[in-house]
Amino acid sequence: MRRLAGVLAASLLAAACAVPLDPPPSGPPDGDGPPHPGGVLRLAAGEDPRTLDPARGYDTVSWSFEQMLFNTLVNYDDGTNIVPELAASWTTSTDGRLVSFTLRRDVRFTSGRPFTAADVKYSLERLLKPSIHSQGAEFFTGIEGATDYAAGRAGEVRGIRTAAPDRVEFALTTVDPLFLHKLTMPFAAVVDREAVDRVGDEDFARHPAGTGAFVFGEWVYGQRLRLTRNPDYFRSGLPYLDAIELTIGVSPQLGWLKYQRGEIDLAGVPSAEFQRVLADDRYRPLILSRTTLRTQYLGLNCALAPFDRVPVRQAMNLAIDKQRLLELIDGEGVIANGILPPDMPGYEPVPGYAHDPALARERLREAGLEHGFAITLWATRDEGSMRLAQSMQQDLSQIGVTMALKPVDFPALIEAVRHPGVVQLFLLGWEADFPDPSNFLTVLLHSRSRDTNNNTFYSNPEVDHLLDEAEPLLDLRRRFALFHEAEVLIMRDAPWVPLFHPAGSAVRHPRVRGYELHPLRPSRVERVWVAW
Amino acid sequence: MADELTGLGASRPSRRLLAAGAVLVGVLGLAALAAPWLTPYDPDAIVVASYHGPLAPGGGHLLGTDTLGRDVWARLVYGARTSLFVGGLAMAASLAIGMTAGLVAGYFGGVTDAALMWVVDLVLTMPSLLLLIVLATVLPPSLLTIPLVIGAIGWTTFARTVRGEVLSLRERDYISAARALGASDPRIILRHLLPGVLPGVVVLAALGMSGAIVVDAGLSYLGLGVPLPTPSWGRMVSDAQTYIAVAPWLLLAPGVAIALAVIGFNLIGYGLIDLIGRRNA
Repeated sequence: MRRLAGVLAASLLAAACAVPLDPPPSGPPDGDGPPHPGGVLRLAAGEDPRTLDPARGYDTVSWSFEQMLFNTLVNYDDGTNIVPELAASWTTSTDGRLVSFTLRRDVRFTSGRPFTAADVKYSLERLLKPSIHSQGAEFFTGIEGATDYAAGRAGEVRGIRTAAPDRVEFALTTVDPLFLHKLTMPFAAVVDREAVDRVGDEDFARHPAGTGAFVFGEWVYGQRLRLTRNPDYFRSGLPYLDAIELTIGVSPQLGWLKYQRGEIDLAGVPSAEFQRVLADDRYRPLILSRTTLRTQYLGLNCALAPFDRVPVRQAMNLAIDKQRLLELIDGEGVIANGILPPDMPGYEPVPGYAHDPALARERLREAGLEHGFAITLWATRDEGSMRLAQSMQQDLSQIGVTMALKPVDFPALIEAVRHPGVVQLFLLGWEADFPDPSNFLTVLLHSRSRDTNNNTFYSNPEVDHLLDEAEPLLDLRRRFALFHEAEVLIMRDAPWVPLFHPAGSAVRHPRVRGYELHPLRPSRVERVWVAW
Repeated sequence: MADELTGLGASRPSRRLLAAGAVLVGVLGLAALAAPWLTPYDPDAIVVASYHGPLAPGGGHLLGTDTLGRDVWARLVYGARTSLFVGGLAMAASLAIGMTAGLVAGYFGGVTDAALMWVVDLVLTMPSLLLLIVLATVLPPSLLTIPLVIGAIGWTTFARTVRGEVLSLRERDYISAARALGASDPRIILRHLLPGVLPGVVVLAALGMSGAIVVDAGLSYLGLGVPLPTPSWGRMVSDAQTYIAVAPWLLLAPGVAIALAVIGFNLIGYGLIDLIGRRNA
């Protein structure tokens, strides 16, 4: 009996000691050697990509693989500058309503057929077809004749003109400074018409074919996806890799273990391990981190009491300890004072709100709420957002506000916040689709957006006016100045408590070279190579 | 004393079981009651100046701090309140519904019995975890929701056991005598049948208590337990699981607490079974 107790006590003690951090997988040391062709990049994901049809995908995983299989006319460089891809060059008419592209003539589909202007027109018309139900269609309705085509009143989009096999022109109904950005989205990727005709619109997601750096290999649902090198890729010598292999059904936790065992090449660092990994010299050179165009915020429903009053919303801004929240995400990001992330073109610092509970209480007194109030915060039920929510719960209790939590699944949250009068307060994030202030300010805070993404139901005619005035401006200085003016007004009205701009992070196998995180798109892999 | 009560000499193991269980439960009960005196910390307050991962046990924090920078010992002792409250209320709800149904069904028999047992069978056929999840999701979250939901599903065992006991008791002479003397049905049920079924019910209650604590821990683990930030052992386990290699004490502390509570109530239950079995023998 006594011996048993001894064994039990000893094993408890052993269990109570933290297990030391396993080393990262071993590999060749980093060096300056030239890129090395060959090798397979091994990735892992929890679930299958939702689709590989660029007309339908609108999530990070689908996009990351669509980017390997397809190309767009233009794309981003490592940052947010637009560079040519399938297009060799382009011009915009002085009134801004005609954009003409000269196409590369050395591009072939993986079937061997040469790529021409007709394929560009075909791909965008396919996107706009009602039977595709693409979430991306809305981005291209500004092309002349697009709405007629989408409604079935025309056999083609007359605003997409193909004067020659290597020329395509877009006539726009109004000036759209974001048009080139829209063409970088995988929605506008050029698909192989013959492949679509052969397998049909529905099956194209499982048999995708384009001009990309990689060719579709095989996809066993729930198990693996394999893409192989396109030997005829128009960027000669690229890609370096022979193949990409995705293992499906790997949770983030399992992915981390597989990474440490050297079974996969890239992984996310679990929050639990982050502090130790960051402090470990063996891991530090392998960590990739980059600020992204994202803002995490508390949305205050301006149409519902008590947040229908500005002082109450300001009090919320003053009460939250954002430094603490940043610590809870392991310092992976920067504190948000305003709406726009610092990497956003046109970003200007705005006067935000410091953490000042005393001033917050004063604002509540002004609003006649010196005794506080009770509210419910809607947030996703994952551990990360529950930690943030509980930290804010403590902050708010300091100013007499009792915040209950309503943990829900992400789709339910997105649905609930859209209905006016349902959600008083919510925790959400937004990631820019384009590097332009309108993608935050107009999409999320214009009164016209109240039936889509303006889930705080914020409405200020002065702000609307500034946003509308800035929208069509091609002159970036004037454009950004107006957006900044609007952002300052918005922050004064405080429909949001901006919390932080999270960074993206990952850890690579030491053999992986040339892999970089992008501020607003999944990483591209055509220049990735493996050393041995 | 106990020897005199049972009239048998060989009841030491059952007494030991009972005593061990009573001590365990007593300690947990005391911890729950005396929580404010056992720790200087508010269980919900973030006590670290700045967060850089959970702090290991030691220093000012007996069991370290958690994934938000809160004192784990404080959450553990206040969590005892939650667990015992939820377990107790769930058990009381099961008991109230189950005993009423069992007494009524057993005593009246016939259509009443058939109808009530049909309800019992119906509840038993439903997958209880699924039902719990649905109810816990649909009903507004509060400290009362979870125990009442657990109670509303867990009463069937009580109903069946009590009914079985009543079926045999009601044929006894003293019941016939009471009936002959003109005692009313409620009087017979409350004064004559209830005391007869109580010993068995007490055993079930002790075992039901541990069952309810486990179910509460399971629901909290799934994120459906008492609303945050109220400390609960199940939630502590679920929040700690990804930290098992980094901060095992986060998982160990509530895990051991759940185990001790369950063992305590089970010991009491089995001790009582033993005791009653001997007395009836």
